[in-house]
Amino acid sequence: MVDASKLQQKRKPSADTFLPLSRVRTIMKSSMDTGLITNEVLFLMTKCTELFVQHLAREAYSESCSKQSGETLKYDHLSQLVNKSKNLEFLLQIVPEKIRVHEFQEMLRLNRTSNSDDDDESASESDSEAD
Amino acid sequence: MVERIEDLNLPNAVIARLIKEAIPDGSNVSKEARAAIAKAASVFAIFVTSSSTALAHKQNHKTITAKDILQTLNELDFESFVPSLTQDLEVYRKMIKDKKESKANNKKDASTGDAAASSSSVAAVDENGDANE
Repeated sequence: MVDASKLQQKRKPSADTFLPLSRVRTIMKSSMDTGLITNEVLFLMTKCTELFVQHLAREAYSESCSKQSGETLKYDHLSQLVNKSKNLEFLLQIVPEKIRVHEFQEMLRLNRTSNSDDDDESASESDSEAD
Repeated sequence: MVERIEDLNLPNAVIARLIKEAIPDGSNVSKEARAAIAKAASVFAIFVTSSSTALAHKQNHKTITAKDILQTLNELDFESFVPSLTQDLEVYRKMIKDKKESKANNKKDASTGDAAASSSSVAAVDENGDANE
């Protein structure tokens, strides 16, 4: 609730869009089986995508680098956010967590021997931190 | 239809500006993070569109409406977007209406008194219709 009111304080409702409508239309068309997109729907979709961009940036930033200002928002902050937010599940394949090659090999090895315990996973994580 | 896959990307400069607005002054965004956000935004648009289309089809509508999108956002756990979007939509609808009205006024100025009377009565009906919604 607090979040929503903050959002509204920051931005005034307006009929202007920053993202190009034509591009958003192309994106929408790529998924729709019916061709007709009204101007109103296109406007709403564009606005909504803008909000999403800012939501993603704000959340990832406040999760990872909140207190100190002048921090850099990095890819890892985003993948962490995607990993733990339920409503961002659809991005798991798009913004995957990066892993090291030897971690991946470890994963493969564990899969083959088919005893992928939680203990083993956390052990490999602390290994990588020691590197 | 999409000819090139780049046609699905959103412009980098706009994305960068939106991100800058969202995070505190003086903080930076890595190139990788910006690319990931841009990609995520495209996928989000496709995701919401296809979910809204499914919703519209379920109600036997062929095309999606603003209502379908807002309802989809609620269902997808993005209900925090809905209040701002509803406000934006109000402003947008008002703008469209004003445009129409000013066009009608221009016509009225150009034509005779009879036409003016009929067009203003049409406007009154429009207003009633909106109020009922």
